[in-house]
Amino acid sequence: MPTVPQQISPVEEQEKYLHDALGVVKSQAFHMNRALDKNKLMDALKYASAMLAELRTSLLSPKSYYELYMAVTDELRHLEIYLLDDFKKDSKVPDLYELVQYAGNIVPRLYLLITVGLVHIKTNSSSRRDILKDLVEMCRGVQHPLRGLFLRNYLLQCTRNILPDTPESDVDSPEGTVKDSIDFVLMNFAEMNKLWVRMQHQGHSRERQHREREREELKILVGTNLVRLSQLESVTLEKYQKMVLPGILEQVVSCRDAIAQEYLMECIIQVFPDEFHIQTLTPFLKSCAELEQGVDVKKIVICLMERLAAFSQRSDSLDSDGTTALQDVQLFEVFSDQVSSIISNRQYLPPEDMVSLQVALINLALKCYPKRIDYIDKVMLSSVEMFHRLGLDRLEYHSSVAKELQKLLKIPLDAYNDILVILKLKHYSGLMQHLDYNGRKALSIYILNNALENDTIVPTPKEVEQALSLLNTLVCEENENPIGDIDLEELTEEQCLLARFIHQLKSQVLDEHYLILTVARKILGTGGPLRIKYTLPPLVFQAYQLAYKYKNSNEEKWEKKCTKIFEFSHQTITALVKAELAELPLRLFLQGALAIDQISFDNHETVAYEFMSQAFSLYEDEISDSKAQLAAITLIVGTLEQISCFSEENSDPLRTQCALAASKLLKKPDQCRGVATCSHLFWSGKSLASHKEEAHDGKRVVECLKKGLRIAKQCMDVSVQVQLFVELLNHYVYFLEKGNDQISIDILNQVIKKIKDELPNLESSDETEQITKHFNNTLEHIRIRLESSEDDLIYKGIEI
Amino acid sequence: MASNKKVLLKVIILGDSSVGKTSLMNQYVNRKFSNQYKATIGADFLTKEVTIDDRTVTMQIWDTAGQERFQSLGVAFYRGADCCVLVFDVTAPNTFKSLDSWRDEFLIQAAPREPDNFPFVLLGNKVDLEPRAISAKRAQQWCQSKNDIPYFETSAKEGLNVEQAFLAIAKNALAQQNQTVDLYNEFPDQIKLTNTQRPSNGSDSCAC
Repeated sequence: MPTVPQQISPVEEQEKYLHDALGVVKSQAFHMNRALDKNKLMDALKYASAMLAELRTSLLSPKSYYELYMAVTDELRHLEIYLLDDFKKDSKVPDLYELVQYAGNIVPRLYLLITVGLVHIKTNSSSRRDILKDLVEMCRGVQHPLRGLFLRNYLLQCTRNILPDTPESDVDSPEGTVKDSIDFVLMNFAEMNKLWVRMQHQGHSRERQHREREREELKILVGTNLVRLSQLESVTLEKYQKMVLPGILEQVVSCRDAIAQEYLMECIIQVFPDEFHIQTLTPFLKSCAELEQGVDVKKIVICLMERLAAFSQRSDSLDSDGTTALQDVQLFEVFSDQVSSIISNRQYLPPEDMVSLQVALINLALKCYPKRIDYIDKVMLSSVEMFHRLGLDRLEYHSSVAKELQKLLKIPLDAYNDILVILKLKHYSGLMQHLDYNGRKALSIYILNNALENDTIVPTPKEVEQALSLLNTLVCEENENPIGDIDLEELTEEQCLLARFIHQLKSQVLDEHYLILTVARKILGTGGPLRIKYTLPPLVFQAYQLAYKYKNSNEEKWEKKCTKIFEFSHQTITALVKAELAELPLRLFLQGALAIDQISFDNHETVAYEFMSQAFSLYEDEISDSKAQLAAITLIVGTLEQISCFSEENSDPLRTQCALAASKLLKKPDQCRGVATCSHLFWSGKSLASHKEEAHDGKRVVECLKKGLRIAKQCMDVSVQVQLFVELLNHYVYFLEKGNDQISIDILNQVIKKIKDELPNLESSDETEQITKHFNNTLEHIRIRLESSEDDLIYKGIEI
Repeated sequence: MASNKKVLLKVIILGDSSVGKTSLMNQYVNRKFSNQYKATIGADFLTKEVTIDDRTVTMQIWDTAGQERFQSLGVAFYRGADCCVLVFDVTAPNTFKSLDSWRDEFLIQAAPREPDNFPFVLLGNKVDLEPRAISAKRAQQWCQSKNDIPYFETSAKEGLNVEQAFLAIAKNALAQQNQTVDLYNEFPDQIKLTNTQRPSNGSDSCAC
C-alpha cells in the first residue's frame, strides 16, 4: 500500500507556524530577561532584536500575527520597565536611541526605537515633540502592509497617555501641545490607512475575497488611531471641528477605497461623543455623499441618526441650564437636507435604501421632536417627490422597496396610535398611493386594526371623509383588481373590520353625528353589493341610536330631526334592497319600526307603517325560499306584536295580512305553524284601539288555532301531523291559562285523543321520541296544574 | 525569583457595551470621569503603579470593546492575564445576564492553567443611578456560585469603591502570579542550541 504523505490543512499549518514562532519568542525572551537580571543591557538588546525578528514573518494570517505580536510586545514591556528604572538613575538614553538604530533589520530596529523613544519621553519630556515626530516618520521605513500596520499599532499603543494633551499656547514648547498630538496621530492614521488600502491591490485577483476578509480583520488597527484622537482631552469641540474631523474626512474620502470608507465613517460615529457629532453634521454628511459606489451610505447615515436619536433620549443630552443640546442645532433640518442630497447625488443607490433613509429620518424626528408632526409630513413629501423623480409607481407588493415603504407608513401609526394624527399628515395618502392595490389594502387593514385596538373615535365629518378615503381599497369597488380574483372569505374578514370601525365614527354633538352618518353613507355606498352588506347595517343601527339620543335631548326640533333620521335609514335600507338583498333589509326595516314605535315622534305612526309595509313587500316580492318565508313571517309577527302605535285603521290590515300570508305559505306544516303564531297577534298585540293594551280577541285566536288544526289534518305524513298537534295543544294550553274563555276543554280533549290515537302507530325514531317527550311533558304540566290548585278549575273535565 | 524584580500584572476588563469599563479604568488610573459616551473599539491598556505589601507592582489594565464586532482580530490579549474583571450595569439586567458568557469566553480563550482557581472580580457599576435592577444580594449569589468571586459595587462617576476594587484586583492577580511562578518555572520548553529549521521563506526577500 503506497503511503501518502499526510496533508496538513491550512489551519493546522498556521498553528504550526505560530507555534514555532512563539517558541522562538519564548526562548529569546527568556535570554533577554536573564540578561536584564544580570544588567547586561547590550546582550538583552541582542536577544530582544532576535525575538522581534520573528515579526518579520510572511507566513502568518492577521489573527496569528496578532497573537505573535501580543506575545512579543508583552515581553518588550519587561525591557521597557527595566530601561525606565535604569534611566531614572542615569540618563544615557540619547546614546541608546542612537545605538538601537544599528540593529540589522528594520522591523526589530523600529520596535526597539519606539521602546527606547518611549522611555526617553517618560524620563525626560523636553524632547517629546521631536521624538514623536521622528518615530512616526521613521515608521515609513516598513511598507509591508501587515508588518507596517502592527508596527504603527505598537507606536500608537506605546504613546497612549504620553501624547501631549495641553491646549496650544503662543510660547514654543518642546514638550508639545495637543496640536502636535493631533498631527502625530493623523499622520500615523494616514500612513496606516494607506498600508491597509494597499493590501487590496496586492496579489492575485482570484484571492480577492480572502484578501478582503484579512483586511476586515485588520480594520481595528486603523480605527485605533481615531480612538486615540477621541481620548485627547484638549480636543475641544472647536479643535474637533477645525482640525481633527477635517483631517480624518480628507483621508477617508481621498483614499477612494470602499471598505476603508465604510468602516472609518462608522468608526468616527462610534468613537467620538454625540456632543461633537451634533455640531458637525453637515461636513460629515457631505462627505458621506462623496464616498465610493460600493459604500453602504445608508448604513452610515442611519447609524448616526440612531445614535443621535438615542442621545436625545438620555438625560445627559441636557446642558447645565436644562436646555437640550439638540435645540441649538437644526438636527432634523440638517439630516433632511443631507439625506435628500445623498439621494439625489447617488443615482446607483437602490430605491429601498432611499426609503430606509427616510424611515430613519422619521424615527429621528419622532424621538427628538415628538410634537413636530410637520417633520414627519416633510419626510413624506420628500418621499413622494423622490418616487416621482424615480418614476416609481404602484410598487409591487412583495418588492423590497414596497416593504420599506410599508414600514415607513406604519411608523407614525405605531408611534401615536391615533388615526387622527395620520389624517393630519397632508402627504400620507399621497405616499400611500405609491403602493400597489395589495400593498394599500394590507396597510389599510393595519390602520383599521390600530384604530380598533385603540378605540379611536373619528369625531368630525371631515375626518370621516378623510379616513374612509384613506381606506379606499376596503371601501370602494376597485377596478384595478379584477372581480374574479376576490376571495370571499378574505373580503368578509376585511369588511367585518371595517364594519366595526364604522361604529367609531361618531360625535357627541348630535347634529355633527348626523352629518357623519350622511358623509359615511355617501362614501360607503360606492362599495358595491358585496361590501354594503357589511358596511351599511352599522350605519342604520347608528342612525336608530341617534334617534333615541335626540328623543332624550332637550332639543327643540328633535321630532323633525328624527323624521329625517328615519328617512335616511329608509333610504339606506333601500340601497340594500337594490343590491338584491332581502332578509337583511327586512330585519332592518323591522328593527326600525320598533325604534319608531318607541321614540314616538310626530307622525311616527305613518313612518312605522311605511317600515312595516316595506318589510311586507320584501317578504312578498323577494323571499322565495319556504324556510326563509316562515322565518320572515315569524319575525314580522313578532315585531308587529310589540308595536303599539297603530290605530285600528292600520293595525287591522296588518294583522289580517299576517294571518293571510301565513296561510298562504307553500308547505302545510309551515302554514300550520305560521297561522298558530299569528294567533298571538290577536291576544297580546296592542294598538291605539285597545288603548295600547293587549287586544285579547279570544274569538280570532280560536279561529287561528282551528285553522291550524284543519291544516295539520291535511298533512300526509302522520309523524308531522302528530308533531303539529302537540304544538297546537301547547298553544291552546297557553291561551287557556291566559284566560281566553273561547277555548273549550272539548277541543283540548279532542286534540289529546287524536294524539294518543296516532302516537303508538309512529315508527320508532329519534323524531318520534322527541314528539312523545314533548307530549308527555305537556300532559305532565296539565296534571300538575290540576293537582296543585284546587280553586283553579280551568282544566275541569280534561281527559288525560 | 529575585524579589527585586519588577512585577507586571495583566488585568482584563470584560462586560457588555456601555456598562462603564472605560470609565472605571479612567477613574482608577487618571481619576477622571466624563459623561460623554465613546465606544471602545479593539483593546487598549493603561498602566498604573501600585504598592502592595511593600512591593511595587505595575498593573497593566486592558480595556476591551463590549461589542463583539469591534474585536475583528480576536482576543489574543486575553493570554497571560493574571486577573479578569467582569463588569455589569446594576440598572441594566441584560448586562448581568451576560456575565456567564463573558466568563466562559474568557476561560476558553485565555486558557489559564487552573480555570477553577483563576481569579475573577465582579464589579456592579453605576450604583449612583436609579432604578436598580440587580440587587447586591443577587450579584453576591452569582459570585458564590462561581467559587466565591469578590464583588464590589462601584460608581465610576463618583469614584465610589473604585480604588478598593482595583486594589483587590491587584492582590488577587499578584497571588495568582506568585502561585504560578512557584508551581512552574519560567524556563522555555526546550532550548535549542542549533538554528531552528524553519522554512527559509519565513521572511521574504524584503529587508524589513
